[in-house]
Amino acid sequence: MSMSVVEIESVKQELLLKVAVSDTPRDILKAPEIKALYAQIGSLDPSEKAAFGKQVNEVRIALEQAILDREEALEAVDVVPLDITAPWAANEKQPELLPVEFGSAHPISQEINVIVDIFTRMGFEAIESRQIDDDHHMFGALNFPKDHPARDGYDTFRTEEGFIPPAHTSTMQHRILKEGKAKLEQGGTIASISYGRVFRNEDVDATHEHTFYQCEGVFVSTDATLGQMLGTLRSFFESYYGQALRIKTQPGYFPFVEPGLEFAIEKPASIGGKPGDWLEMLGCGMIHPNVLKEAGIDPTKYQGFAFGGGVERLIMLKYGIEDLRHFESARLAFLRKFAL
Amino acid sequence: MIISVNWLKQFVDIDMPIDELVTLIGERLVEVEGTEDLAEKYKDVVVAKIISAERVEGSDHLSLLWIDDSGVVQDVDRNEEGYVQVVCGAPNVRKDLLVAWLPPKCVVPETFGSDEPFVLSARPLMGHVSNGMIASARELDLYDEHDGILEIDKDAAAGSSFAELYDLNDTLIDIENKSLTHRPDAFGVIGFAREVAGIQGKRFETPEWLKDTGTTLGAHVEGFTAPRIYIEDAGLSKRFQMIVLDGVREDMASSVQMQTYLARSGVRPVNAMVDISNYLMLLTGQPTHMYDYDKLKAVAGDTFTVGVRLARQDETLTLLDGKEITMDASDIVITAGDTAIGLAGIMGGQSTATDATTKTVALEVATFDLYHMRSSQMRHGIFSEAVTRYTKGVPAELGRPVLNKTVGMVEEHFGARVVSETVDEYVGETTIEEIGIDSERVNALLGTQFSAEDIASLLDNVEFSVSFNADRKGRVTVPYWRNDIHIPEDIIEEVGRLSGFDSINATMPSRDFTAVHPTRFDDVRNILRQALVKSGLNEVLTYSFVHGDLLKRAGQRLENSYRITNSISPDLQYYRQSLTPSLLQHINPNIRLGYGQFGIFEFNKVHEKSSGLTDESVPLEKNSVALILADAKNTSRTAYYQAKYVLEYMLKAIGVTVQFLPLEGDIDEARASVFEPKRSARVATRDGVTIGVIGEYKASMSKTFKLPAFAAGFELSVDELVECAAAVPVHYSSVSRYPGMERDVCFKVPQEASYAQIIEAAESVLGDIALETSIAPLDIYQPEDGETKNITVRINAVSHEKTMTTEEMTAVVDAVISKVTEVTHGEVV
Repeated sequence: MSMSVVEIESVKQELLLKVAVSDTPRDILKAPEIKALYAQIGSLDPSEKAAFGKQVNEVRIALEQAILDREEALEAVDVVPLDITAPWAANEKQPELLPVEFGSAHPISQEINVIVDIFTRMGFEAIESRQIDDDHHMFGALNFPKDHPARDGYDTFRTEEGFIPPAHTSTMQHRILKEGKAKLEQGGTIASISYGRVFRNEDVDATHEHTFYQCEGVFVSTDATLGQMLGTLRSFFESYYGQALRIKTQPGYFPFVEPGLEFAIEKPASIGGKPGDWLEMLGCGMIHPNVLKEAGIDPTKYQGFAFGGGVERLIMLKYGIEDLRHFESARLAFLRKFAL
Repeated sequence: MIISVNWLKQFVDIDMPIDELVTLIGERLVEVEGTEDLAEKYKDVVVAKIISAERVEGSDHLSLLWIDDSGVVQDVDRNEEGYVQVVCGAPNVRKDLLVAWLPPKCVVPETFGSDEPFVLSARPLMGHVSNGMIASARELDLYDEHDGILEIDKDAAAGSSFAELYDLNDTLIDIENKSLTHRPDAFGVIGFAREVAGIQGKRFETPEWLKDTGTTLGAHVEGFTAPRIYIEDAGLSKRFQMIVLDGVREDMASSVQMQTYLARSGVRPVNAMVDISNYLMLLTGQPTHMYDYDKLKAVAGDTFTVGVRLARQDETLTLLDGKEITMDASDIVITAGDTAIGLAGIMGGQSTATDATTKTVALEVATFDLYHMRSSQMRHGIFSEAVTRYTKGVPAELGRPVLNKTVGMVEEHFGARVVSETVDEYVGETTIEEIGIDSERVNALLGTQFSAEDIASLLDNVEFSVSFNADRKGRVTVPYWRNDIHIPEDIIEEVGRLSGFDSINATMPSRDFTAVHPTRFDDVRNILRQALVKSGLNEVLTYSFVHGDLLKRAGQRLENSYRITNSISPDLQYYRQSLTPSLLQHINPNIRLGYGQFGIFEFNKVHEKSSGLTDESVPLEKNSVALILADAKNTSRTAYYQAKYVLEYMLKAIGVTVQFLPLEGDIDEARASVFEPKRSARVATRDGVTIGVIGEYKASMSKTFKLPAFAAGFELSVDELVECAAAVPVHYSSVSRYPGMERDVCFKVPQEASYAQIIEAAESVLGDIALETSIAPLDIYQPEDGETKNITVRINAVSHEKTMTTEEMTAVVDAVISKVTEVTHGEVV
């Protein structure tokens, strides 16, 4: 004769009570009541076996959870409260900082600071890029129609809600333009960079990361030209590398610029470059009239240029770092090489 | 895409060395991934004539050949007539055949450039010396044909160069497709040649047949019917043409010359029907498809209709390769009657495929919507040369010249005849674009000084027709193949590109002298970061996406995180709600690498659904800073206070002072969940605004992340800190000319009295005294019994008016003592 549902329930409640006050709650899993329940399963008629076994299992799951809760409570019992307002614990000494020479800022933060500093001195404001955005800012406002093949190149992630971890810092461009419109109409210019973390659906290896950093620039005035874009970019890289540089371009296609270019510099001697070695640095171009229009800026009165490139590449070239994966590894052996 | 320079040369003069051409293409047209020199690969291949072929005794397939190379190959054994002996196993070997001979020392082209190039020699085969070999198409690296040797189908002298005979002294340019996504015209050799002319400053002349969009071929022939064409929506296909050709055969091969052009472009020759279609696709960018006419008619049923419509949900189709696919309402299908017979633009179906019995074909020349092409291609994972071109947006006008050319080539090759009229459903008729152009505007955007004539000449070279008025304004008529050109900026890009962007003078924008300042946020974050670096700590950056298990272990609600639907792995599936769990993961690995005492911190954004959306309807982002201190060895100190010390040091850098309150009430659940409430505090401003949490971690965290006994840290809102820093007034009091005094006082207070109570009581008194004062801890002592504790503080005071007397100092100290003992029920010892 097997136990009834009511009887099983009462065994469960009894054991849960024991767990709640036990100092060694896990031992209760070995209680004779449990053994008895399991022992019964074997002697049951096959028709009853499944249902009974299921009930016994539920008892066990409930007990396991109660044991975990009790264990966490027991661990906390031993925790001695602190005077959270004190400068140090009783009978201890004043804390000390670690040696300053251990400290390091992340190489990406350091390099972004250098980039922002140069652009700031050139008259560009700097804002950090978003890390979650929508299709409109990532693509729509930038003249990428829905299902446009140019979207393929961006390998974007999506959230359940349809938000996008931005795949380029251009996701800030529409905002910069909208915000700068008033300044433009008062006779000023829009000069802004956005920097930050971007995401692409790529498998990680020494030269690919799903998470990396970019910096993007936007300049709009009544008379901005492609020649000015080339001059501005050359000026940035000359300041960055502290030497005169040759530049070259090749046509590139990005829906949000027209004309669109890829921009390269002759590899500076300071990072081991020889004449004739070229480094592709970024994509750039004159802002497409549709992008200006979308931000409410009249493309017949104003024109501008935009550019954007990766940050890690600059750092890897600067230090000769061979593997992208170091950057997000949080390994002290790597980080302390960048002690200031 | 692979472009043959020799093929280009059929349409454009190239009068510069290849490397200069490749550089120019890179600068003015498209990214070049690399080049391949074919000449080297075929340099030793010799055209030879088979003089005699006899079966080798005892072999069922080997033949003993004597071949004639006119004696051009050196160092090889010859008979009296000067012929060379070769053993060959091919079934099609026969007397008088012209063949490609790979003499001894020649590298088999198929293995050229590989890790193990195969070098031929003179070696015996069944007792007969074979001097090298006679090559099959596969050994020549043309295509995968190994059943027999390649039969040379042109007149050629024995001993002549095989490479010269078939234009194989060629260079192949590998083009990065992604940089041409908007240029369907450049996906054909003629279009590419046009650009090569333009960037060299030469005028291009498109072949007449390709410009002729007006000629209509064919007429009804008794016994044959052209289908009626039906297009459901011009948004699916702008144009669909068909014509019926009788007298084709599947077993006929195309010319070796055509085969070599296909092969070097990366397309496998199949048979003449398919090869002609592919050849013209490579030449023009327009794919075509041939259906077995009888099968097509049979599937269509009573009324012979061929249609273009969207697939129905779950409609199935068996493709040419035998694979059955299930479609949905975003796929475009070709139908016969109402039955789907092909996935439009991507792959034909099996039911209407040509085969050995095919005599009559229906030729399809159509365009399909590029967005549908792209999404179907992705969904079904089919990547072909044809769909690659369709996804660039093949122009509708291109169809007619290609249809006519295909018909001509099929007629010529097979002796086939046209047996129907051309049926042409042209629902999305495109008008030729005319775009206004203003040379001043061109120069204003590029920063150039082109004259109207310069601009006209650059555009005319690539067959835009340009007319300028006296006022240097004009109109540009866009050729039909440039369906990417719609606005004046598109024309300006062409001018800049064809003349070379690099020839544009780089200048700087003019701007006023207004100074630009970094944002307050960046400033404050930099100061905080520097303070932590100076504290000997290391900044890390960790991934924004985490595993669901990490959130759960950290006590955070999974449903409060944005979830990535197409994540790379479960490790990167959720947006993180706080930074601390990510940092906790990196403590133990660093300890295992031998680091004993260290601290890591991160500044980054965190995302919680519960934070809601901004007024742009995108998720609100929060800026956080998290820090963890760990010490694998030293357990004699209390980690909490070490973290608190660093926190106060960091905040001092931005002038913010905070209070430490019990971990309850107004706290950020996601930030607080990892901290042990009894050994953690809510960090709040003096006004009570919570800015974060500091403390040691729950025992369950220590276990999960294998933390050392000494581990503590904090996570704060950088947004709040920036606000606090902005509110800090600049404060400076002059240095007093008079000496100050200091006095140490030891309070014995009940165990439960807090340090803050003493300090706050003392400060409340000191604040009312007209002296500059400060108070600082010296020592905290607790005897074994634990009932009371002794807290020693040092009080400093200085007057700005005079030298203080001992009595005055005593009065200050007494006032402090009186207040502190009253508040704490303690005493002075």
